[in-house]
Amino acid sequence: MRLAVYVGYLMLFSLFAWFVTNLGRRRQVVAAVIAALLLIHLAAPPPAAAQGGLIAAVQAVLKVINGAIEIALNGINNVRAAVRNLYRSVAWPVELIAQARAEALQMIGQYRNLMASILNVNLKSATLPAPRALESLIRDHRINNFTSLGQAFANTYRAIPAPADASPEDRAMADMDDALVLDNLKTLKAADGATDLELEAADSVENAASQAAPGSAPFLTAAATASSVRSQALTQKMLAAELRQEAARMAHRNELRKRGATFTLQLRGVLINLLQHN
Amino acid sequence: MRKRILPILKRSVAWTRNHKLRMAGLVLILVATMPDAGKGQFLDPCCAMLAAGLTTISNRLNNVVGGGLNTILSVDKSISDFEQQVVWPQGLISQARALVGSLEGTFHQIQALTQIKVNSATLPGSQQLEQNLLSRNPSQIVQTTAAYNALYGTVPSATDASSELRDLVDMTDAAAQTAMKRAIEIDSLADLELEAAGQITQSVQNAAPGSAPILEAQADAWLIRANAYTQAATADLMRLDAVDLADSSAELKMGASSTANLRQGLINLLEHN
Repeated sequence: MRLAVYVGYLMLFSLFAWFVTNLGRRRQVVAAVIAALLLIHLAAPPPAAAQGGLIAAVQAVLKVINGAIEIALNGINNVRAAVRNLYRSVAWPVELIAQARAEALQMIGQYRNLMASILNVNLKSATLPAPRALESLIRDHRINNFTSLGQAFANTYRAIPAPADASPEDRAMADMDDALVLDNLKTLKAADGATDLELEAADSVENAASQAAPGSAPFLTAAATASSVRSQALTQKMLAAELRQEAARMAHRNELRKRGATFTLQLRGVLINLLQHN
Repeated sequence: MRKRILPILKRSVAWTRNHKLRMAGLVLILVATMPDAGKGQFLDPCCAMLAAGLTTISNRLNNVVGGGLNTILSVDKSISDFEQQVVWPQGLISQARALVGSLEGTFHQIQALTQIKVNSATLPGSQQLEQNLLSRNPSQIVQTTAAYNALYGTVPSATDASSELRDLVDMTDAAAQTAMKRAIEIDSLADLELEAAGQITQSVQNAAPGSAPILEAQADAWLIRANAYTQAATADLMRLDAVDLADSSAELKMGASSTANLRQGLINLLEHN
């Protein structure tokens, strides 16, 4: 940069020297020199050497550093420290987090095995071979022995009468009643299996809760809530089965009532005929 | 070389002597316009003051700005460490996601359990009604009445039964059929709930700690909905029980009425004899 200035200056001065040496009269030379001096002074006035201004500028910068910047930095520092304290003391106190984890562990120890043992108390009460077999099958939580269940049910409650032994209506209704009972018993075996899986899931969520952090707990909560939806769906399916069964029981009784009306009508006709013959 | 330069110098000196004014003017202009040489740092007092000032500024920047920023940095670092180690530890977040993944496997098993075929009827009429009741398909509800009537019969005609009995039979049939239709609806709704729960669980696996509460809120909404469906099913069960109780009561009333009629008939018979 500096070299370019010198080269430019040399070229301009050479041009001016050539111009001056080629002037004819002395007056022209004097006029050219004076004009050049005036032009230089007008275009580039001498720089002011202001020592007092420099000191003031330095002091001004120091004032900004010591004043506004220091105050701002202290303010930011105070706010960040307050945020840290808020996190540690109010939002996520480590002691309370540890306490919650410990409480989860304590509750696991206090309740889990106790409740499992209560649920696993043997409830079987049948004494004869066929009911015992059926009772065992309807409470085994398995879904791969439905055929055995049907056989055990027939052994205990007997099969549908042969066409020669009962009216078609009676056979149809007995078949429907048995079917709905068996449907429900099968549904309950599946529901028992699902209950076992739900309990396992609950144990897993509780185990994870005993080690969770505030940031990982929402995953567990969301998963647990989704399982509650599933649990409700299973309850609904059981209620639907109960509705079917109750409805079938009422329909059965109503069908007997309808047949009763028919029998009464037939009996009345028979009695009238009998009285008329007498 | 010397022979060439010396004549040139002599001519130049001679020209200068003859043009003193022009030379003086050129020297004047040269002096006036010559670029400034760099000022010596050791000799110029202005530079010394500037250096002192800059040193002071540098020191203040180091102490005030640098020190302040370092303090803020240390606080921020402790906050960051706290958040990473206590609030959102990556290891525990990954562990929670993995658990949700394993729970999803468990829930697939539960869903499979609900899809197991439980049909058990053996005769055509009962098979048809059973198939309809276990269809889990609301579009099959329109066929429930026909299958029901085929198995349990229709309301007796006016000539075949008293109006009281016909009312009773019709109401009981209606309650039974409604319950059966509701059971189909509830089964279908429960299937959809299981599907939605599966979707939410899958989303939780890919969630962040900040987005998991949103999914949790969604799951909560589904839970409220599921509770409402459970209540609807329970209400229908209660209605069925209520109709059943009313049915028993009506039988009692009709029995009393029949007994009274029979007694009156017997009295009339005895009086005639």
